[in-house]
Amino acid sequence: MRKSLFVLSMLAVSGVTAVASEDPVATRKALMQSNGAAAGLSGGMMKGEIPYNAAAAKAALASFNAAATAFGDYFPEGSDMDANTTASPKIWEDMEGFEAELDKFQTAAAAAMQAAGKDGPADLDAFKAAAGSVLGTCKDCHEGYRVKN
Amino acid sequence: MFRKLALIALLAAIAGGLAFFWLTSPKRMEAKAMAGMPQGVADRGELVFWAGGCASCHAAEKAEGDDKLKLGGGVVLKTGFGDFIAPNISSHAADGIGAWSLQDFAAAMRLGVSPEGYHYYPSFPYGSYARISDNDVADLWAFMQTLPAVDSKAPEHDLAFPFSVRRGIGVWKLLYADPSPVINIDGNDAVLLRGRYLVEGLGHCGECHTPRDFAGGLIRERWLAGAPNPEGEGRIPNITSGEGGIGSWSVGDIAYYLETGFTPDFDSVGGSMVKVQENMAMLSPEDRAAIAAYLKAVPEHASEK
Repeated sequence: MRKSLFVLSMLAVSGVTAVASEDPVATRKALMQSNGAAAGLSGGMMKGEIPYNAAAAKAALASFNAAATAFGDYFPEGSDMDANTTASPKIWEDMEGFEAELDKFQTAAAAAMQAAGKDGPADLDAFKAAAGSVLGTCKDCHEGYRVKN
Repeated sequence: MFRKLALIALLAAIAGGLAFFWLTSPKRMEAKAMAGMPQGVADRGELVFWAGGCASCHAAEKAEGDDKLKLGGGVVLKTGFGDFIAPNISSHAADGIGAWSLQDFAAAMRLGVSPEGYHYYPSFPYGSYARISDNDVADLWAFMQTLPAVDSKAPEHDLAFPFSVRRGIGVWKLLYADPSPVINIDGNDAVLLRGRYLVEGLGHCGECHTPRDFAGGLIRERWLAGAPNPEGEGRIPNITSGEGGIGSWSVGDIAYYLETGFTPDFDSVGGSMVKVQENMAMLSPEDRAAIAAYLKAVPEHASEK
């Protein structure tokens, strides 16, 4: 059982890699959609529209952290020409600046994940502090490196 | 006969030239109106400063925190007419505007005329600022005099001919300068009137969110319906309730976005709106709600396809 699970998970991982190398735009979009969903859940709880739940809070933070870790790998040279992308050409003109913004996101997400502990942030205030620092990095990067239509 | 005709033509040309010269000459505010300017209060001027978005162009490109109060200029606005470069408006006497009077400041803000009597380009949004009240102009001036002096002259605009001819701005003003309200508000709804003042005047939202004609004049019939991004890629969004706009957003959603930078579905603010949103976050909740109420009240326009 354990072995088959392992094989399954390897398959899943290799599946992801295969998709990624074929279509970096689709992959980074999927990662950003998962960020969006996690932000929606976080924001709903922060605004009081969704009752606070520590496990859900942890899932949101974990999702930010996973996306932050992987996101930067899906911006190969030439992937700015895709009609579907809202990534700004500035990313490739100023890769260093883009990576600096990405680094802020990764640092904040990793710290939030750490703070969440095993059971997730103890209460809404703890979650607000953790998620707030992650959400604060969204616009820093979207200011210069995303194009909206 | 021929000589007579030639003389008439010459006289007509001279008269036309004089009329052009007179019509396009930078008009200074009447001394009478100036005499009535109130004494400003610096503390109140801070809110005017954020609502007006001064720092977005006149502070350094990536300024954060107190650096937003250092108004050395230098931010470049790339447009189809050429590059506009925001000047130094810090309190420095030589490089900034520290040697100005309140009257000079009011003429610049509302008429787009410099103390030396030349026209400013409408990249400086005096077309909107023309709607600012005497009190707010005076308070803003009082506040700006408390800000640090920055010693650096910003470079001149880099524009293509014929836009490089300042006199042409006089024609532009004749055609487009119109401080009357864009949207009629029935009755005395104080919230809507405040919202209109903030959006049409201080906040100068229409300068980016309303499309322009070939000569750069705002198309009032498409007020806030979204426009091509003057700086290149992407579009400035439609913020009316028409198709493609923000009709599904509640007043609370709009106010929340202006405060936090998050849309109702928790996408984040981006592009040049980031600086604007950060300014709006400095306003009172009542002012953000007033802006939201006004945006819900403007005529609906569908986004351009």
